[in-house]
Amino acid sequence: MDSRLLMDVRRYAIPVVLALLLHALAVAALYGGWNPEQQAKVIKPQIVKSQLLVLEPKAKPRPKPKPAPKAQAAPIAQSKPEPKSPERPVEPAPDPQADQEAARQQAEQERRERLEALAQSSFLDALESEAGDLAESQAASDAEEVAQSYRYGIYRRVVANWSRPPSARNGMQAKLLVELVPIGDVVTVTLLEGSGNGAFDRSAEAAVRKARRFDVPKESEIFERYFRRFTLLFRPEDLLR
Amino acid sequence: MPEQLSVFELVSNASLLVQLVMGLLALASLVSWVMIFQRWFYLRGVLASVDEFEEHFWSGIDLRQLYMELDGSADLNGIEQVFVSGFKEFTRLSEQSGTDAEAIMQGAERAMRVALTREEESLETHLPFLATVGSTSPYVGLFGTVWGIMNSFRSLANMSQATLASVAPGISEALVATAMGLFAAIPAVIAYNRFSARVEVLMKRYDAFSDELTSILYRAAHSRTA
Repeated sequence: MDSRLLMDVRRYAIPVVLALLLHALAVAALYGGWNPEQQAKVIKPQIVKSQLLVLEPKAKPRPKPKPAPKAQAAPIAQSKPEPKSPERPVEPAPDPQADQEAARQQAEQERRERLEALAQSSFLDALESEAGDLAESQAASDAEEVAQSYRYGIYRRVVANWSRPPSARNGMQAKLLVELVPIGDVVTVTLLEGSGNGAFDRSAEAAVRKARRFDVPKESEIFERYFRRFTLLFRPEDLLR
Repeated sequence: MPEQLSVFELVSNASLLVQLVMGLLALASLVSWVMIFQRWFYLRGVLASVDEFEEHFWSGIDLRQLYMELDGSADLNGIEQVFVSGFKEFTRLSEQSGTDAEAIMQGAERAMRVALTREEESLETHLPFLATVGSTSPYVGLFGTVWGIMNSFRSLANMSQATLASVAPGISEALVATAMGLFAAIPAVIAYNRFSARVEVLMKRYDAFSDELTSILYRAAHSRTA
């Protein structure tokens, strides 16, 4: 009996060792080197990277120089009256005579003509005359800088609140007109140009509404000029890249 | 939960029943591999010894001398056992006076038949176990999987928002059981088929040998009485 047991042990020792070895190998393979399968399991979310462009009509004079001049001439002309407004109090002051009214009307008339001429003239001319006319061009560029930083804040806030619909495609764009009150609360959001995709337009609108409140400059001039009403351009770019 | 689920985390997170099933399957796989290796070596040894013995047997050696050589050794393999038991019975009966050739041959044949049966039994040990593992472990693994999936779907029912991420780990964990079942079953089935074919070959050779030995002994018995 004892020798039989011994024989059995001898007969089974090698198989047991081999079987254990094989299983240890399998387990080690699973634990260590067999990574390709597991790496494949990591699901990469399909990132829809999109960028949001904030466009303000007032901001145009600065980025303008590059785009084709013809099409943009009109908006510039429209935006002109505001930068000019400081001139208005200056003109009437020197002559308080009876024909003051006439002179003012004259000046007004002149200015209007000039503006129309400006609208017709090439963009470069417009830019030159603007540079010459505006004494506050330096101040304007400061204001522009301030506005730019706030604009960036708005951009960040809108992007954070924007959840793009899956149907968003490259090349779509939605233009929204946003109106704020001086403390930065959004009062109205209107769609100026739709992308043709309802879901995308709604998502853009919802992003602004969800943001609800933006940080705006304390200075009322800058606010009035840049943030009272501004347009936002939404477009999903780098889709599925 | 880490982004990369390892199989071990899946196993350790599984429910108790699934873990039990997995443990059972791991054990079945281990034991069946022990048997596969054991049978493999054993059958290879037996085949080699059969070749060797037959060569020795037909080399023209005196059967009585061969019997003397083998009878002393304790560790006889299959075909030697058949030869020894048949020849022993033959000599024992033929030494008794008054037994006719027919009775001697019957006794020798019976002894060889017994030895053959014993031999077949020893060749086939463990094969039923391999067959069982091969045929049932996929079902056992499937049971574990079904149970695991059942549970993961049941827990899904409690969630307000069903996401793939909330069921995927459960299903993946449950599928490990099926994988283990297949891991145990496939080698077992292959080994079973291979080994039973080899046992059959060996048994045919034993039968052929015992027939040959019978005819030799028959000749001897009749020439002696004549």
